[in-house]
Amino acid sequence: MKRRTGKADLQQAPVTFAKGVDERFQASTPLRALLNKVFPDHWSFLLGEIALFSFIILLLTGVFLTLFFDPSMTETAYQGAYPALRGTEMSQAYASSLHLSFEVRGGLFMRQMHHWAALLFMAAIVVHMARIFFTGAYRKPREINWVIGMALFLLGFLAGFTGYSLPDDGLSGTGLRIASAIMLSIPVVGTWVSASIFGGEFPGHLIIGRFYIAHVLLIPGGLLALISVHLGLVFKQKHTQWPGPMRTNTNVVGERMFPRYALKQGGFFMAVFGTVALLAGLFQINPIWLFGPYRAAEVSSASQPDWYVMFMDGLVRLMPNWQIYIGDYSIPPLFWPAVVGLGFFTTAPMAWPWLEARKTGDKRIHNLLERPRDNPERTGIGAMAFTFFIVATISGANDVIADKFHISLNAMTWGGRIGLIVLPALAYYLSVRICLGLQQHDREVLAHGVETGIIRRLPNGQFVEVHQPLGPVDDHGHPLPLEYGGWVVPKKMNRVGALGPAVKGFFYPVEKPSEAPVSPGMPPVSGDTREEITSGRK
Amino acid sequence: MTTLHHDAPDAPEPVDVDDPRLSRFEIVKEGLRRDEIELVTYESQFQGTNSKAEKRVVRNIALLFIIAGLAAFAFLGFYIFWPWRFELGHTMGDYFTPLLGITLGISLFAIGFAILAWAKKLLPHEVSIQARHDGASPTDEQKITGQTMVFVGDELNQGVQRRPLLKGAIGFGLAPIGLVAAAPLIGGLIENPHKADQPDLFTTGFSPVKNGGNLVRLTRDDGTPIRPEDVSTGGQMTVFPGVPHGATNEYADSPTLLIHLRADDAEETRNNAAADRRNAGSMWGNYVAYSKICTHAGCPASLYEQQTNRLLCPCHQSQFLITRNAQPIFGPATRRLPMLPLGVDEEGYFVATSDFKDTVGPDFWERP
Amino acid sequence: MTSDTPARRRLRVFSRRRGVPSRARRRLGAAVRMLAALALAGGVYTAFAPGAFADEPKQLSATAQEGKQLYDNSCISCHGRDGQGVEDRGPSLIGVGSASVEFQVGTGRMPMTRQEAQAEQKKPQFDKNQVKQLGQYIQELGGGPQLPAGELVENLEDNPEAIARGGELFRVNCTSCHGFGGGGGALSSGKFAPALHDATPEEMYAAMLSGPQNMPVFGDNQLTPEEKREIITYITLQLQEDKDPGGLFNLGRYGPSTEGVAIFLVGITLLVFTSLWIAGKS
Repeated sequence: MKRRTGKADLQQAPVTFAKGVDERFQASTPLRALLNKVFPDHWSFLLGEIALFSFIILLLTGVFLTLFFDPSMTETAYQGAYPALRGTEMSQAYASSLHLSFEVRGGLFMRQMHHWAALLFMAAIVVHMARIFFTGAYRKPREINWVIGMALFLLGFLAGFTGYSLPDDGLSGTGLRIASAIMLSIPVVGTWVSASIFGGEFPGHLIIGRFYIAHVLLIPGGLLALISVHLGLVFKQKHTQWPGPMRTNTNVVGERMFPRYALKQGGFFMAVFGTVALLAGLFQINPIWLFGPYRAAEVSSASQPDWYVMFMDGLVRLMPNWQIYIGDYSIPPLFWPAVVGLGFFTTAPMAWPWLEARKTGDKRIHNLLERPRDNPERTGIGAMAFTFFIVATISGANDVIADKFHISLNAMTWGGRIGLIVLPALAYYLSVRICLGLQQHDREVLAHGVETGIIRRLPNGQFVEVHQPLGPVDDHGHPLPLEYGGWVVPKKMNRVGALGPAVKGFFYPVEKPSEAPVSPGMPPVSGDTREEITSGRK
Repeated sequence: MTTLHHDAPDAPEPVDVDDPRLSRFEIVKEGLRRDEIELVTYESQFQGTNSKAEKRVVRNIALLFIIAGLAAFAFLGFYIFWPWRFELGHTMGDYFTPLLGITLGISLFAIGFAILAWAKKLLPHEVSIQARHDGASPTDEQKITGQTMVFVGDELNQGVQRRPLLKGAIGFGLAPIGLVAAAPLIGGLIENPHKADQPDLFTTGFSPVKNGGNLVRLTRDDGTPIRPEDVSTGGQMTVFPGVPHGATNEYADSPTLLIHLRADDAEETRNNAAADRRNAGSMWGNYVAYSKICTHAGCPASLYEQQTNRLLCPCHQSQFLITRNAQPIFGPATRRLPMLPLGVDEEGYFVATSDFKDTVGPDFWERP
Repeated sequence: MTSDTPARRRLRVFSRRRGVPSRARRRLGAAVRMLAALALAGGVYTAFAPGAFADEPKQLSATAQEGKQLYDNSCISCHGRDGQGVEDRGPSLIGVGSASVEFQVGTGRMPMTRQEAQAEQKKPQFDKNQVKQLGQYIQELGGGPQLPAGELVENLEDNPEAIARGGELFRVNCTSCHGFGGGGGALSSGKFAPALHDATPEEMYAAMLSGPQNMPVFGDNQLTPEEKREIITYITLQLQEDKDPGGLFNLGRYGPSTEGVAIFLVGITLLVFTSLWIAGKS
């Protein structure tokens, strides 16, 4: 008897606890709303998550690194485990980075995870941004989140730069020297800016300590705040979705947050973490012990920044040697690509959502995405911008490319200069034409049906190809024209239910493409869930 | 969430959650209704219970979890028992980091895919539709909030307008407080680059002024002075000012490239230097010394091509022609590398007869 | 681009005979100095040269005799009779020393298959023994720097600091062109500094002594034989033989460029495929 009551109490305990919580915080309703919140599902919606999860990995591994890193520029003679630097004079920062790599068990692995996660963070931001741009997800009401996203790129850029400067090795010191030159190039106040940041003449004794506090406190604080707002806005405004069956501008079709969506997110986090771990184990990154301590007189061929800074370095390399003289004063050519260029290319795109809305006069709210082909103008501009970015980034490594592919270095520079002007225009033209072509093809299929590959000979000797209409036909068997619904149009017979999809599950959203009707207004072509789907439509 | 805006024609009727006959799922559905969610599809992915397909999926997921566990144990095993200290050469320790990465990667991937497979394959397939509420708040709400804000403004404003003393006092009080916040930043952080007592922008370690008026010797990085015969013909040497700490980053602008040219190249270089007001007479014999610090972004422009007599900067590919006063001939640099006037002292060691006559290092606004 | 097109540079590189005699002059014996004087006399020189050698029997050792045979078969068309050089084709070899021969021929750079911006390393045409013979011949023709006998890699048990000192010297003198990881690097207009991954100690020593192609010369006054050995010790033990501790792949140690490629090709690709599977139907 006694036992029984004890058991009953134990069962009752969570309920009591939950009631207690609710009495104090009135959590029931918001918690239920959270559990029930519906998220749409598409592979491209997971790209931003890669960045988010990388950031979490960065925080975890970063905290580990701070336990061993000493951000001091005091000179010391290295006496650690790595023989090829023993006895060499170096800063405490570099010595402690070596200590962390060679004398802390698993320290090198953590350092490499941190660095790979940083590269992945920035790569995911760029890929995610491309998805947002090409699908028009930044349109009203999500303009502010686009702006925050750009700011996150800029902050990530600064976090990366301050981070890889910390070990005070030969390569990062070269980068620091260039950074000081960039500051010096600012008209009027350049020398003041540089002297203030470095605490005197380059390199001084302060910069590593200052970068350290920026890297572990100020910038991550900013990132954390902006990421919170970014996600909060996604949460508040609800995620965009592709057009398709049941999907309208006023609803969200997908899965509830719990359990399926949350489980998927958890699983994906593990996959991102696993990817970073594999990268850190398989590929050596930033072998600082080979670079030696930073000495102003030493440099290596193939000195480049990390990939997300390379576009700026590429622009600096491609810049012609144009110096502007104003009386006794001058503006060095470094100023334009490194200060103006970086500032412009990371902030000007922030205005894009409003520019586009102004041009199109579109003030409506958009919760449905646009396929890139359906807005050739935007796709063209995006292709143009990304081509520019890629040419600049490649030019940032043009000496390595020249060396490994046996191209003249000078030819690479000129190729970059010309490519930077010509290729974006070409990319614009090509992508607009491709978009229009794809649109045309969609419309053709809607008007005539899917090509079956069956050739029929008519009594008069003429050959015609038989088309499978996608919708109803008129009395003569000719398909009635269908309206385009902004979503995938089946173009092969095995997409309209004759056969299964060629590669199961890949490249397609959770709704079976074979079941997707041609437009929201049309009934699904086939599929066993037809009844449920139609009943859900308003 | 008690008021509902659900106006769909087929919206389910509210139910009484206290009804004891209700199943748990029906209560959940009532919650969905209140959150304006319609569960359109909710069906098991398997036919019947314990179907063959279900068993297979469960087996696979279990296998993935077991792999994750094994890999995690392997990670711990390698972490604890594998030799990990750095040793020169090809040793077992070189595989420490790869083994950690591979085992941790496999473990995390296996957990991830197990969870994903669970979510994708075991949980019932569902399609839910939730209504959005976009756009502005109801107009009356807008109006009330707007009026409230204006009213608050009025309250404050009237207070100030009726009491002019307050207006002045607030202005007087707040402005300096703002400055107080800015003062430490400006006072502490701002450094004057033209301060006289620090190695300033326009001189290097080769300046005799800083060396008590004595000429500064050229030294190697270990501080030993250099005789002319130490540099081979067609060779180059990185030299530093022979002052205390001359080869350290304290003199980050001072590293110089001492080049021993072949006779005919030296002749050409000499002629070109002689034609230049600043560089005339700066060579010593067939030796010439240029600042190693690129005039573009400050990297050591030290890739010396002894046949073509070019100096290449590895950072942005500026190229300088040694025989022509190190004028830039390619790339983003606009300014030539400064030449260091060379001499040899009575003991036969190289000295700088004066500091660089051009400003060393990357360009800036007020460079003369 | 600059005024230099690769074609013009090619001529410039290999027509450079002006520099070599000045270096040679210091080291030539009296007999050769006389020959050099004759060379200045002009075109008649070519007629006289063989006779001069015939009159003054310069005793070639047996090895050098073998080398002369090889030389007359494979090298003479560009470098001329007795290593005097041919205008616009190949420089004089008087005074370059056996070190230079061992580097150029031993790495397959010579004989060149065609005139190009920079002689490419390829499969050597001569075996080790033949290279020695050729080297001996050139050495006896005009003297010049020679490889020292003995081990070129320091023994770390006797001299544990050699590798650290070598590393320091490597970073001061070599990395600007060959890179921190010894992966090589680009020079202007198609020229390059080769990777050091498979360079042998002899090749490296010979290269430092002779300054092949556009590499500066590091004579024994500048880097003492001991310092050269220390650099070679660092390159051999640290850059060549040490397995990178940070991963199975070192991405060529080219720095951030290959790391950037890897993050997209491996990281992003892997995760995009994962997300396709997550959102996929199957």
